[in-house]
Amino acid sequence: MTPEATSALALSLRVACLATLLNAVFGIPLAYVLARRRFRGQTLVDLLVTLPLVLPPTVTGYYLIVLLGRRGWLGSPLYAATGWTVAFTWYAAVIAATVMALPLLVRTARAAIESVDRDLERAAYTLGRPEWRTALEVTLPLARNGILAGLVLAFARALGEFGATLMLAGNIPGKTATVPLAIYSAVQTGETGDALLLVGLLTALSCVVLVVAGRLGARAA
Amino acid sequence: MARLDVSIVKRLPGFTLDARWEARENVVALFAPSGAGKTLTLQCLAGLLRPDDGRIVVDDRVFFDARAGVDLSSQSRRIGYVFQGYALFPHLTVADNVGFGLRNRSRAERHARTGAIIARLGLSGLEGRYPRELSGGQRQRVALGRALAIDPALLLLDEPLSALDLPTRATLRDELRSTLLQCGVPAVLVTHDFAEAYRLGDRIVVYEAGRVIQSAPRSELLWQPASEAVARIMGIRNILHGTVIKASPDRIQLRWRGLTMEAVNSPTQAYLPSSEAPIAFFIRPEYVRLIRKDRGAPDPGHHMNLMSGRVVAEADFGTTVALMIRLDEPGEPAQGEYDLEVEVPRLVYEILEIDRDRHWQLSIHRGSIQVLPA
Repeated sequence: MTPEATSALALSLRVACLATLLNAVFGIPLAYVLARRRFRGQTLVDLLVTLPLVLPPTVTGYYLIVLLGRRGWLGSPLYAATGWTVAFTWYAAVIAATVMALPLLVRTARAAIESVDRDLERAAYTLGRPEWRTALEVTLPLARNGILAGLVLAFARALGEFGATLMLAGNIPGKTATVPLAIYSAVQTGETGDALLLVGLLTALSCVVLVVAGRLGARAA
Repeated sequence: MARLDVSIVKRLPGFTLDARWEARENVVALFAPSGAGKTLTLQCLAGLLRPDDGRIVVDDRVFFDARAGVDLSSQSRRIGYVFQGYALFPHLTVADNVGFGLRNRSRAERHARTGAIIARLGLSGLEGRYPRELSGGQRQRVALGRALAIDPALLLLDEPLSALDLPTRATLRDELRSTLLQCGVPAVLVTHDFAEAYRLGDRIVVYEAGRVIQSAPRSELLWQPASEAVARIMGIRNILHGTVIKASPDRIQLRWRGLTMEAVNSPTQAYLPSSEAPIAFFIRPEYVRLIRKDRGAPDPGHHMNLMSGRVVAEADFGTTVALMIRLDEPGEPAQGEYDLEVEVPRLVYEILEIDRDRHWQLSIHRGSIQVLPA
C-alpha cells in the first residue's frame, strides 16, 4: 500500500469515528425530541435534518461553505476573530460527514424511540421519575438496538462521504483526502492498484456494516 | 375513609370529556363501554394529561384546580397506576420493577420494602425473572406490587383483568378485591365488564360518551339504574316501553301490550310522570315466575301481573335456560319475535318439562318491575 493510501485510510477512520460520536451526542437527543415532543418549528427541524439525505451531496457541501467558509455566515466572524477557518482542514471533513450521516441516525433512532410503549414512560412518571431520567432509564435502553443500528449506518455513511467533503474540505493528500477522495484521485492519475485496494476495503467494510445494522434492526423490531 | 372529588373537562379533537363525580367509598369503579373517557379520567387523575378545566381533590390534597392554577406533577402526586397491559419495564427484573418507585429511599429500606411487597403478593422466587418470563396473572401482581410499593395516596387500575384468560380472571378478581380491602388505599378502577365493576367497586360511576350518567353505591345501581341509557349499558335485558296510567310515590300503574301492570316506584327517585306519559321499565328475566299447572288456579292475591304466552325460542346457558316468550295478546311483540325473556334454572326447566310444554302463565311481582326515569 502506498503512503497516500495508508494515510487516506487512517484519516477516513478518524473522520468516521468522530462523525459517529458527534452524531450520537447531537442526533440521539434530537431523535428523542422529534419523537416525543410537539413544538413550533418541528417540521422545519425535521426537514433540515433530513434534507442531506435527498440533496446531491455537492449541494449540501455548498450550503456548508456558505455557512462555514472563510466568507460564510459563521465562518467570517470566526476568521475575523481568530484568523482561522475550518474550510480545507480535516475538521471540515468531520463536519461534512456528520451532517451527511445525521439523517440516517435520526430517522432510525426516532422510529425506535417512537415504538417504545408510552405507558412505560407514563408508569415511570407516576413512580417519581422526571422526563430526562425516564428517557435515560426507560426509553433509550428500550430503543437501544434501533439506536445502535442507526449509529452503525451513520458510521458507514461517514466513511463513504465524498461530495460534501470535497466541497468543504477539498482533496488535499495526507490532510483531507479520505478514502473515497483518494480512490477518485487514484483513478484519475491511473494508479489502478491503489484504487482497487481501497475499493475492495470500502466494499468489505460496508458489507460488514450492513450485516451488523440488519441484525440490530431485526432485534429491535 | 377516602374522599374523592373529581370534576374534569377535557376537549380533544372529536371527543369531549366532561365528567363530575364524588366518592367517599374506598373503591370506585368507572364502568362504560370502551371509548367513553374512562382511561382519560385516569390519566387526568394521575397528572399525565392536563384537563382544560375542573378540580381534582384526593383526601385533603388538591391535585388540580384550574381556577386556582394548581396542577401537581405526576411525579409528586404519589399515584399507583396499574396500566392496561401492565406496562412492566421489559428490561428490568421483577424486583427492579417493584422497586422502581423507591429510588430515593436508602438501599436497605428499598430492599426491605421490595421484599415485603413481593412476599405479600405471592411472587417469592420470581425476583430475578423478567416480565416476558411471567404468566399473565403474575404480571398483574407485579404491576400491582410496583404501584403499591410507593405507598400511594391513590391507586388507579385500568382494566386490571382484561389481559387475562377467563379462568385466571375470576381468581384474580377475588384476589384483587381482598388486596384492595387489605391495603386500604383508595382506588379507582376502570372496566367495561359490569360483573367486574360490581364485584370490585363500592361505588359505580357509569360513563357514556364522555359524561357521567349515574354515580351510585353498587347495590343502588343494580336495582335502580337512573335511566334507560344506564340500563342499556349495564346490559339489562327486557327493557320495555309502556304508558303511565297512574303514578303515586310508592306505586306506578302502567299499560303495556294491552295489559295493566303494577310496579313499585323507585324509593330514592320518587318519580311521578303524568298519566298517559310514555315510560320505560325493565323486568329481570330471572324474576319472572312460571305458574305451575299442577297447583290449581292462580291466587290473584299471591300472583301479580298475570299474563300468558308461548315459548317461541330458547337459549341454553348450561346452568340456566333463557325462554323467549310471545304473549297471547294480539299485536306486534315488544322485542322482535318475542315479548319477554325469562330465565329459569335448568332444574326447573326439567321438572316442568318445558321442552315439551310450551304454553305458560306468568306472574311478575310488582317489586320486580323497575321503572326507568326518562
